[in-house]
Amino acid sequence: MLKKCFFSLFGLLYVSFISPSYSANDQRLQIQPLAETSLLTDIVATPSSMITVGQHGHVLRYDYPSSQWRQVETPTKSLLTKVFFIDEMKGWAVGHDATILHTADGGLTWKMQMFAPELEKPFLDVLFFDAQHGVAVGAYGLFYRTIDGGQHWSEEFHQELLFEEDIAYLAELKTENEQLYLSEREALLPHFNRIERIDEQHLMVVGELGLIAISADQGHLFSAVDSPYEGSFFNILNTGNALYVMGLRGHLFKTVWPDMQWLQISTPSQTSINAALAQPDSITTVGNGGVIMNVTKADVATIESQQLGQDIVALAIDKLGDIWVVGSKGVQQLK
Amino acid sequence: MFNRGLLAFENFLFKQRAFVIAVFILLTLVLGFFASQLKMDAAFIKNIPLNHSYMQTYLKHQKQFGGANNIMVAIEDSRGDIFNETFFDTLKQIHDQLFFIPGVNRAQVQSIFSPSTRFTEVVEDGFAGGPVIPADFTTTEAGLTVVRNNIDKAGIVGRLIAEDYSAAMVKAQLLDFDPQTGEPLDTLKFAKQLEQQLRQQFENEHIKVHIIGFAKMAGDIADGAKGVLLFFVIAIAITAIMVYLFSKSILLTALPLACSLIAVIWQLGLLTVVGFGLDPMSILVPFLVFAIGVSHGVQMINAVRKKVISGLTTYQAASAACLSLLVPGGVALLSDTVGFMTLLTIDIGIIRELAISASLGVAVIIFTNLILLPLLLSYCNLSFSVNTAAEDKVNKRWYRLSLFATPKCAVIILVLSALIYGFGLQQSANMKIGDLQGGAPALHHDSRYNIDTFYIADNFSITTDVISIIVEAFPEACTYHHVLSKIDDMEWQLANVAGVTSTASLASVAKRVNAGFNEGNPKWTVLPKNTASLVQAVGRVPTTSGLLNNDCSVMPIYLFLTDHKAETIETVVAEVKRLATVMNDEQLKFKLASGPVGVMAATNEAVAKAQVPMMLYVYGAVFLLCLVSFRSLKATIAVILPLYIVSTLAQALMTYLNIGLAVSTLPVIALGVGIGVDYGIYILSTMVMKLRQGQGVQQAYYEALVERGSAVILTGLTLAIGVSTWFFSALKFQMDMGILLTFMFLVNMLAAIIILPAIATFLWRKS
Repeated sequence: MLKKCFFSLFGLLYVSFISPSYSANDQRLQIQPLAETSLLTDIVATPSSMITVGQHGHVLRYDYPSSQWRQVETPTKSLLTKVFFIDEMKGWAVGHDATILHTADGGLTWKMQMFAPELEKPFLDVLFFDAQHGVAVGAYGLFYRTIDGGQHWSEEFHQELLFEEDIAYLAELKTENEQLYLSEREALLPHFNRIERIDEQHLMVVGELGLIAISADQGHLFSAVDSPYEGSFFNILNTGNALYVMGLRGHLFKTVWPDMQWLQISTPSQTSINAALAQPDSITTVGNGGVIMNVTKADVATIESQQLGQDIVALAIDKLGDIWVVGSKGVQQLK
Repeated sequence: MFNRGLLAFENFLFKQRAFVIAVFILLTLVLGFFASQLKMDAAFIKNIPLNHSYMQTYLKHQKQFGGANNIMVAIEDSRGDIFNETFFDTLKQIHDQLFFIPGVNRAQVQSIFSPSTRFTEVVEDGFAGGPVIPADFTTTEAGLTVVRNNIDKAGIVGRLIAEDYSAAMVKAQLLDFDPQTGEPLDTLKFAKQLEQQLRQQFENEHIKVHIIGFAKMAGDIADGAKGVLLFFVIAIAITAIMVYLFSKSILLTALPLACSLIAVIWQLGLLTVVGFGLDPMSILVPFLVFAIGVSHGVQMINAVRKKVISGLTTYQAASAACLSLLVPGGVALLSDTVGFMTLLTIDIGIIRELAISASLGVAVIIFTNLILLPLLLSYCNLSFSVNTAAEDKVNKRWYRLSLFATPKCAVIILVLSALIYGFGLQQSANMKIGDLQGGAPALHHDSRYNIDTFYIADNFSITTDVISIIVEAFPEACTYHHVLSKIDDMEWQLANVAGVTSTASLASVAKRVNAGFNEGNPKWTVLPKNTASLVQAVGRVPTTSGLLNNDCSVMPIYLFLTDHKAETIETVVAEVKRLATVMNDEQLKFKLASGPVGVMAATNEAVAKAQVPMMLYVYGAVFLLCLVSFRSLKATIAVILPLYIVSTLAQALMTYLNIGLAVSTLPVIALGVGIGVDYGIYILSTMVMKLRQGQGVQQAYYEALVERGSAVILTGLTLAIGVSTWFFSALKFQMDMGILLTFMFLVNMLAAIIILPAIATFLWRKS
């Protein structure tokens, strides 16, 4: 009896002292001085702040009064790839291990909505139509939808974007071996790198193997359009007047919705273009090799500057009109 | 019994003096021959505490990952741009030249010209890549443009190419053995080859060659150490003048100096006999031996002089002086020897060598200056004109000094000493371990080597200040996500520690390779979850990268530090230890340490750990020897207490002068105590005798001063002069040692004539 008491007492001590201190420790470890200068993959500006996300589940928030980036705690260590805010307060961040985080206080605190490392796929983009309805997309056609603000996420499989021979193959497999069918279809779709609204009704998704697809029903059904390029597209920029898609090896194309006649803009760089930002008379692109280009309305692309030794992945303009870029060496203001 | 034996021995020596002197001459010739064979020697392995746990890890993996013994050659084009024909020709030649210097591990020579330096780029259908310098490379403008683009793609800017493209790097690791002869690598010869075959051959108005690495440093230290010969000559000259002023006789100056030089010859000869070379650090030992020899020689001629004046013949006087000094002199020298021997407890080869060579050197002084010197003196025919007036003047001065042994003065002295001691103790607590300055601490801040070090640190993102954490796992461990993930975690935590500028490991490289496999998209900079993709990523990292061994059961994490100051190392090591205790499990062990800073960390820890035991041993030994020779606890305390105060003050001085406790300065305290005890022993041996005869403390002290005072002061000055010439050494550590030893010798002498009598007054106040 005494022995039993002793053990349970010991167990209690163990639980109350040792394990909490360890996990608390683990949490604290996420906040690190180098988070600001290490790999960051996306940045957004909200009316009151800026938020950037990156490796090891890092989220940093810009504080206008102090002009400083402050790291906030998140419940994940996975590489985050994209962040999206529907208004000043509500936002979502997605990333590897099929992670979806949500904030309701402008990015100060984050809660896990989805975490599925067993999928072995990353989310690469997230888009909300309103506070309740949204989609998250990712590698190998990963596609999840929520209708309750992210309380629940459910999978969708966009068979319509498969090649025809793959559709036939899968149909055959489905009748023969359900198990094999499910595992096979895991990797048949191309990566969905970016999903973006192009007007009130239409969505566009771009990705691997020159994928460009349009949906008119909030992404329930897509139809692929003829692509001007067989390599990967990483991003879409909708300036209102024109639509740009950009990707591997300096490829940049322009069209006017809904005309969809692609014009290739020849660029002086051979490295991937990862993102672009609309300026009054031009657009600014950023990419691997630290290449920052200026593309005029007349479609003349010039290298504006090059941040050697780093890849730039995303950029945003703050409320004061300054441009910020993020990438393999963290976040910095463009001078 | 003992005294009778001593008398018989002394009798024998003087009866057979011709024979004994002949034996000495013969021995000097033989050992002189051996001494002429002595070589400079500076092996890397001697500088490290081999039994320290970090060094066990280091040695275990040294073969696979290379050790800390590497060489970096930065070739700079002073016009600011390397892309021209002459530069590339020179770079190629230097690469080849270094490759062929015996002792270089040829598998690990790295520059843009080595075939393993490759670039990869992402194209639509996967990777494209090749060597940075293509096979058909020509130094035309087109060829150089291709290379320039390849350099950017290969991501070697900062490593093999300077950040501003004004210099290129050739790196190599050294073997411990010369592969042609199988003999241990002659570091100094290697350093000379670097200097002659690389720097002298290729440096011109446009091309600058910067060379750093342990071998080069050892070479520069050895070159600096050669300047020591000049200091030795100067020390001899000044000492000769001092002794002449004291003795006022050329013969009495020449004889103790000659005997001391014989001691030095014996010491150097014996080094060769026991198989040692002369290390830049132990080069101080001949100075010490000479100075200690002279100081004992001075005691001897002083004693002979006093006996001759009292009416004995020179022969009788020499014999009596020998008899009276054999015991106190012998004890003093024995305690020096024991003091040095305590250094043997420190597990660093170079300190042990110092201990052995210094012990040998001091032991031979017993023969040369306590036996040979009086024998030689006995052949002389000395006579002294006694200047009573001058003598009286001197004695008056001694009388004034003897006031230190009156209760009133004693109290003041003791209170003051206590205050100074308290201040010293407080300061000494702040004494730092290790090197406190950047660059090579052995060399001056503005030496060529350190300028080169700072150049490379400024222009490349790598430094020699690297510590690697060895991750020991199981065969094929790198194909498991959880293993690499843990290494990645550890690396990230350590990257954030203050003092770490950058890091590298298989995990972080595999992450970048994985991004490369995913079209170079930075959003895929992760460790793939499934084994197939992970193997693909890891498979692109060759074992020559130093990031993994053949079966990837061992994967180091490299930490590049801002510097190797003791505080930086301590912070990093403490954090590694803390994280390792949390993260180590059955499969995975994070172990300290390899790399140059790993060695420093081990050395610092070994030095810090050795300090207290060493002090205990050296004081224990001195205590016992005093107890045996005086057979009085009071006398022992009176000798040791001033010594202890002075060694505390020496530590305070180290704090004040920013000298860290390092391999070079650790032995100084032991040497200072071992030698400093001589003064007390000489003064107290007379005092105790007089006290036992029933005299008062002040009278006893006065008589001791009359008999030994001038010799003690002269000894202190001689010793201090011998080591103070090092202030001007090209080597920083010799300067540090010079400062500290000069302080120890002088202040110990002062303490023996000021604090010792005050303590004696207090201890013997009843009688």
